[in-house]
Amino acid sequence: MSGIGLLLSTARDALLAQQTALDVVGHNIANVNTEGYTRQIPVLSARDPAPYAGVVLGRGVDVDEVVRNVDNLIEERLMQRRSDLKAMEEEEAYMAALEALLNESSSGSLSSHLTDFWNAWHDLANNPSGLAERSALYERGALVCQALNDLSGDFDQLEKQINLALDAGVDQINELTAEIAGLNEQIAGLGVFSTPNDLYDKRQALVTRLSQYLDLQYYEDADGSLTVTTGRGYVLVSRDDSYDLSFDGTDVRWESSGTADLDITDTITGGKLGGWLEMRDVILPSYERDLNELAENMIWEVNQTHSLGAGVEKFTSVTGAYSISDSGEELGTVDSGLAFYDKITDGSFKLWLYDDTGAVSASTTLTIDADAGGTTASSLASAINAIDVTHLTASVSNGKFTITASGGYSFAFSGDDSNVLAALGINVFFTGDDAESADMNSALESNKNLIAAARVGTSGQIATGDNTNALAMADLQYEEISMTHYIYTRGSSTPTSSAVTETISSYLYSLESSVGIRSQSITRSREYNEVIAEELSETRNNISAVSIDEELANLIKFQHAYSAAAKLVSTADEMFQTLLETR
Amino acid sequence: MRISTNSVYDSVKANITRVSDQMLRANLIVSTGKRINKLSDDPVGMVSVLDLRSDIKNLEQLERNITMGRTWLKTGEAALTQVEDILSQVKSLAIQMASENVGSSERSAAAETVDGLLRQVLALANSKVGDRYIFGGTNTDTTPFSFDDEDTPPEVTYAGNASAFSIKIGNDLEVAVGKDGEQIFGDDDFDWSNASAGEDNIFKTLLDLKGYLESDSTAGIQGALTKLDNHLSTVNAAISDIGTRIIRLDVKENIIADLKLSYTDRMSRIEDADIAEAIMDLQSRQVAYQAALASSSKILKVSLVDYL
Repeated sequence: MSGIGLLLSTARDALLAQQTALDVVGHNIANVNTEGYTRQIPVLSARDPAPYAGVVLGRGVDVDEVVRNVDNLIEERLMQRRSDLKAMEEEEAYMAALEALLNESSSGSLSSHLTDFWNAWHDLANNPSGLAERSALYERGALVCQALNDLSGDFDQLEKQINLALDAGVDQINELTAEIAGLNEQIAGLGVFSTPNDLYDKRQALVTRLSQYLDLQYYEDADGSLTVTTGRGYVLVSRDDSYDLSFDGTDVRWESSGTADLDITDTITGGKLGGWLEMRDVILPSYERDLNELAENMIWEVNQTHSLGAGVEKFTSVTGAYSISDSGEELGTVDSGLAFYDKITDGSFKLWLYDDTGAVSASTTLTIDADAGGTTASSLASAINAIDVTHLTASVSNGKFTITASGGYSFAFSGDDSNVLAALGINVFFTGDDAESADMNSALESNKNLIAAARVGTSGQIATGDNTNALAMADLQYEEISMTHYIYTRGSSTPTSSAVTETISSYLYSLESSVGIRSQSITRSREYNEVIAEELSETRNNISAVSIDEELANLIKFQHAYSAAAKLVSTADEMFQTLLETR
Repeated sequence: MRISTNSVYDSVKANITRVSDQMLRANLIVSTGKRINKLSDDPVGMVSVLDLRSDIKNLEQLERNITMGRTWLKTGEAALTQVEDILSQVKSLAIQMASENVGSSERSAAAETVDGLLRQVLALANSKVGDRYIFGGTNTDTTPFSFDDEDTPPEVTYAGNASAFSIKIGNDLEVAVGKDGEQIFGDDDFDWSNASAGEDNIFKTLLDLKGYLESDSTAGIQGALTKLDNHLSTVNAAISDIGTRIIRLDVKENIIADLKLSYTDRMSRIEDADIAEAIMDLQSRQVAYQAALASSSKILKVSLVDYL
């Protein structure tokens, strides 16, 4: 190759190389706001020299490749951190909802309803035969039930929302994995020698989006395709195949290549799915269980005290609030089907029968044997039937224990130390046995005079101004009861429990403080993770993102080089002209 | 160090978000006047607040109980003081009439007076607070003492019971504010179902006295005087007992008032924001926010493009 020809070809190559570099700069500037775009750099190198006329001469410039300026380690750390951050953001959002449900700084909260309820018993004690006090007490009780029902319903609603989110999330994951598999196919199809930078970026962006849904691991194969697995190693994408997840309403399942579906619910810890599952399987059930424990204990304590008392009016008929599944089974055993069967102990209660003038016609002590072979619903009914065949009938109908007096006769109860009346739901204040089912005894709604403020006296008399039972009820708010706090963990359906002895209100407060503490700690870790993610993101941006200033500097650099190369062409041209003009 | 364009935007965005979030939080504290606005702001403090709030409500209820109890006791005190006056009046009348110098016409006039006073005592024994009888034990809805002068001999019967009506003034702390009427107006072992059997009560003494006056029996009148003295001391004892109970309620009420004050104070300390401090905080956040906006707008404007 001779002189001017070499110069011209060097100039041509330089023009092309600078133009390519300008193209890359243009591409970078154009993508300055593209999420996940990695800044590209043209790698220029001097061509191999060739010997000419005894010297070795350089032969210009060449564009070797265009590389992505990427630090894979930081990309991966950032992705993982963002995945954790998403989990926390979701938990935080739901905890905020949960806090709002408990709504403790307002007057409509459960704890203020509870206080009002106890105060209403004080008011009744101050005026035991007052109908206004009785109606107010009934309404206070109904508000407590309503607050419990609402909370329980809200918990269910939250769980439903999470399940809907899980369903949509799984669909998103499947779309993303399918797209990643598609890109794998394209990248592998281009062969190992090509570098499809923008496809890599696109794939990385998809993986990042996928990591917002669940915790991931990934690695690149020799052919350039990316294998993506869940945090625990279940393969989601392998070469051009993607393995779908599915959601069956409760569990997230992984459709593996060959064998049956696998339940991977408990292995997902990161991303939105991790946050949702933590909320659904750990946080919500723990608090819901505690709320039910609170409702159950409150209902039982109030009912038990209520069943010891007597209203302004005596009973002419009473139906138990709790269902018996088998009247032939011992009342104190689980087979009886009673919700509070375990509260029944050996003991007795007194049934007072009054004639149509209100005088005591019979008083019978009925003994309860809670052990195997002991009292059944049927045997209790026959014992009551034996008191006065013509005027008093007891039976189990539709699963409820019923006592009816006839001929103007009426009856009342006293001194039940076997808890059998409260367990059967006879002469009780509430019905139900958890937050969802808590309700007022319907018999009280139609006749508030059945609210038991008094107790039957030793000779069967019931004084209208007797407030013994109402006073005992007002004391329940100070009584310390042994209860249990529950904590669920992922992958186990049985919670760990810790026993506490505290008042009903204190139990509620510790439940609420636990919600507050958890919410606070989730917010703190979210904030901490956010700072780290921001820093990592900045580091990543500083390595990989586009700087307009820098690109503009490069633009001018390459532009000048282009002008200079063009000058080379015109110089070569002038040299040719000079030669040709020589005569 | 290389700074990418997006880093600049991202950090401006993040900083402004953070500062404005802090400013809003400071604003919430100022506008609600409360340091704790939700559970997670201070879970431990919040629980103390809840506890105190329900304690205060409970104390307020106890205050209401005490106010009601005091009405009962004061009504009882007033009624018994009047009974005491009447009995003293009857006593001086009886002393007069016991004299041999008094004629039978005067005695029969005195008998009429005693009859009138008897009915006054009866009305006082049936004293009520609202609709509730206070001297009927816990049978508050039935007239405790009824007089049937058609009966021979005429007698007063008691329809109340022996348990006293109580109110709650604290955890496991009850004070009887009603009275078992039998204790005051009759002997402990008086058999109301058989008044003629000979035991003693105020009404029987008065009825007997009336009879003795009508029959000019000075010996009978003398005997009635002794019984009147006994009744007077019983009523006196009952009045001083009521006085003690009123003092007990007053003491308890003072304790409750003090407790309520200290609870409210404690609650306010935990829950309420120091307004001066909160406003200062809000202002410093505002300044930070304005500074962030001002400096950010300067950084964002600068670009090499402008100089080419």
